Amino acid sequence: MIRNYTLELITVVAVLAFVAIFLMVSAGGTHEFSGSDDVGSQKIAELTGHPVESFTPVIPQYIPPSGEIESTLFALQAAFGGVVLGLVFGFWLGQRKPSSTT
Amino acid sequence: MHIMEGFLPWQWCLVWWVVAIPFLVMGIIELRSMMRKDREYLPLLGVCGAFIFILSALKLPSVTGSCSHPTGTGLSTMCFGVFITSIVGAIVLLFQALLLAHGGLSTMGANMVSMAIGGPIAGYAVYRLLKDTNVNIYVTVFLVTAVADLVTYIITSLELALAYPAQVGGVFTSFTAFFAIFAITQIPLAIVEGCVLALVFKYIVALKPEILIKLNVFSEAQITGARRNDEAVSPAEGRS
Repeated sequence: MIRNYTLELITVVAVLAFVAIFLMVSAGGTHEFSGSDDVGSQKIAELTGHPVESFTPVIPQYIPPSGEIESTLFALQAAFGGVVLGLVFGFWLGQRKPSSTT
Repeated sequence: MHIMEGFLPWQWCLVWWVVAIPFLVMGIIELRSMMRKDREYLPLLGVCGAFIFILSALKLPSVTGSCSHPTGTGLSTMCFGVFITSIVGAIVLLFQALLLAHGGLSTMGANMVSMAIGGPIAGYAVYRLLKDTNVNIYVTVFLVTAVADLVTYIITSLELALAYPAQVGGVFTSFTAFFAIFAITQIPLAIVEGCVLALVFKYIVALKPEILIKLNVFSEAQITGARRNDEAVSPAEGRS
């Protein structure tokens, strides 16, 4: 049994600090919180002098028709990971021999 | 850290695919021999893979006012090495390229070199450096994860800079420009990711220490030492 929760505390503090920073930055107003992938693409357009739209896929690809569908697929990806994670930890927990727990 | 489909000249797509393929081949060979030898490792591989899936689906806001996602490759790198990690990373990237239009098939080589290969190599270097020292094993996990995450974005910046050197100042100037977008956004994310994966590692140590010892992720003395420390009543709790 884990009784020493130092690492848990550190993680909670780190997550809270992260959230606090986010709240502070977003209260500042002008940020869009767009993906850094897109910001990177804009930078490429800026460096080459070609507009973003002029970059066409080399290999045709499926683009989710809306943000809703995209978020579904992302949720699906995370859910898949979560299911596997819970399954394995549950399996290990069940495998543990009933030891002399006090 | 995805380079979007179409945003890399085809010559560079080819270069990065050629760099990536040997790692994938090695990964498949290692994976096959591991499965044949001992299926006991599969659940751990599942956990490592699950974290890459979950974390790379989370697009988190950061200080720079844009969003980015962690990579989660550190844990898998420590347990299974760079080659197997490159396979897991490639699966995630393939999913995102095919269904989500994040990255693309032509740029997947470049994205694999940054997320599934380059980051893990850097993380593995840190791991080897700290493995047999007195550094606390959770600190090692934290550093490996954070470094693997950050280096992923440094390599993405480099890939873009090589393909798009600035007219004035060349590769270095555009590297700094891309680095400012990607890597600085990433620092807070890397710290949080490091903490979370260290915590996960703690639970693996608590539940399945024998697997970690068998894989020689850390020595038996280090694992049992960490366990003893985790099970000891912390001073703060003892007082109350």
